[in-house]
Amino acid sequence: MKMFVCIKYVPDTSEAEVKVNPDGVSVDSSRFSFDINDADNYAVEESVLIKEAGEGDITVLSIGPKQSDVMIRMAMAKGCDQAIRVEDDRIASHDPLMVAKVLAGAIKGQEFDLVLTGCMAGDDGHMSTGVALAEELGVNHASMVKKVEVLDGKVKAHRELEGGLLEVVELELPAVLTIQTGINEPRYAPIRGIRAAQKKELKVASLDDIGVDPVAVGPDASMVILEQLYIPEVESSAEFIEGEAEEKADKLASILVKGGLV
Amino acid sequence: MSTEIQTFTEKYDLLGCIQCGRCTGGCPVTVRADLNVRRFVYDAYYEEKLDELARLAEIWDCTACHTCAVRCPKGLKPLEVLLGLRTMIIESGKVEPTVRDALQSVLLEGNPWEKSRAARSDWMEGLDVKIAEPDVPVENLIFVCCTIAYDPRVRVIARNAVSLLNKAGVDYAFLDDSETCCGSEVFTLGEEGLFEMLVEDNTELLNEYSAKRIVCLSPHCFTTYKTKYPDLKAEVIHYTQLLDEMLKDGKISWKGELNRRIVYHDPCYLGKQGDIYEEPRDLLRSIPGVELVEFDRCRERSLCCEGGGGKMWVESESKKERLAETRIKDAKALEADIVAVACPFCVLTLEDALKGLGYEEEMRVAEITELLGEFAEA
Repeated sequence: MKMFVCIKYVPDTSEAEVKVNPDGVSVDSSRFSFDINDADNYAVEESVLIKEAGEGDITVLSIGPKQSDVMIRMAMAKGCDQAIRVEDDRIASHDPLMVAKVLAGAIKGQEFDLVLTGCMAGDDGHMSTGVALAEELGVNHASMVKKVEVLDGKVKAHRELEGGLLEVVELELPAVLTIQTGINEPRYAPIRGIRAAQKKELKVASLDDIGVDPVAVGPDASMVILEQLYIPEVESSAEFIEGEAEEKADKLASILVKGGLV
Repeated sequence: MSTEIQTFTEKYDLLGCIQCGRCTGGCPVTVRADLNVRRFVYDAYYEEKLDELARLAEIWDCTACHTCAVRCPKGLKPLEVLLGLRTMIIESGKVEPTVRDALQSVLLEGNPWEKSRAARSDWMEGLDVKIAEPDVPVENLIFVCCTIAYDPRVRVIARNAVSLLNKAGVDYAFLDDSETCCGSEVFTLGEEGLFEMLVEDNTELLNEYSAKRIVCLSPHCFTTYKTKYPDLKAEVIHYTQLLDEMLKDGKISWKGELNRRIVYHDPCYLGKQGDIYEEPRDLLRSIPGVELVEFDRCRERSLCCEGGGGKMWVESESKKERLAETRIKDAKALEADIVAVACPFCVLTLEDALKGLGYEEEMRVAEITELLGEFAEA
């Protein structure tokens, strides 16, 4: 089983206060701690479990700065075999489609059976990159996967749906699975393992190295424009709409129209 | 016989054990867990048993209080056999998520509490704190501790220390956000590789400062720096030693009377492991109006609160009474108003026990710096 596992280096925003910078489109990250995206951590573990259950070769793939090498080395300490880190400031990284194109560019041309990634990133929460990646690679995908069974030439994926439902699907390989947290219990990467993983290959690549046209994944190609980031205001008032159902619907529609929400 | 078993046997001097049983006879944990350290010392000699021993849940019950080491007539440290078995589990990566996250946080952020390094000095807010600079000589370089720096309950230890030092005009300096975990709990959780890295990095960092002494606010950092950092240039002391000096030099004056009955709980890392028994008692006795009483189990026989040995991140399976609860009940029987301690972990475990028992109205747990902060001029 030849696998890729795509991981992202994200800030932990659960402890530190989030402050938007004066430019209005970026966040002050000086007080954040950074680590592997939570769901991606489960994807790494799942890839290692699949490898341990049979045979496998795992390539870690990430787009990020040099500081994220520690996260990549941890994944390699857990059992991943090699890594590619794409570092290029020309990527419109706020757009999951552009990110997917870069990841696909790094994978294309190489043999693979399975690509695993987290179902969602803890920083922007788009939940789109994995699915877009499958589209770019032209392969099957299943999202929000809570259980994986490897079959002959296929995988059975148990997907978490809304309302607590579970959907079981079979996918022909190659395929992309986006992994939901809780699918396993990620292991610890001991420091001696991290040191031993220094011997494994970590290739740092630019867009040119992986054969991706910078224009095609840059701000001009992206259809997403980041206009403003702001902390949602805490509203203290709530309006209860009274009346019969039809009357309520009319009032609600008029509020939505007035507020410019539809 | 393989090299590995020779290493394990030699590393922990297993052949030195005479199976006298003084270790198990003194182990405070045996009343609530199945831990039998003497059996582990015996069985660990057999290479083929090591994996099986490492998988036993009770290796995580040890609080590293060192009672077994204090009592061993052969000078062995039976508890370290358990830590060696923990290392085997740690190296496999299959550890409790709480342990995993604490250790990973030490590696990434320099503290086991999953807090950002950038927030390490937040406790200093509003205080006039002198910050150390490399190569600028300083008499007392204060080492705060991760728990004191981040836990809102025990930050008062560092804050009051600053006030007392400023008032007394003592030559001191604190580290900024560069202060990194001493590794006390990393060592006892069995993450040997990470501990070795911390020893190397912290030795380099602390030796950059021309400090005469490193003054630790936590007994865990104190014992770790004193016993496991061979290349530190500065002498390592606990803050109670510094405050006791200040007291004897007449640098602490009082602004009121406490008029309370206090029982002092010897922290394992300060007493049994650090051999510091008198200074905390002298400080408490010096507060006007204090009546100091003693637990039956005090000094080197002090009952462990179960806060050490990485137990902050490993919950015992035992449902029997926590030792901290036993301790609080003993204090109640002594009709103490205050259980005084000199350790952040003891504050947290004993206070939890006190609240759990519903004694909040009649008793309190206080760190010595808290009492000094309330009754010393600052």
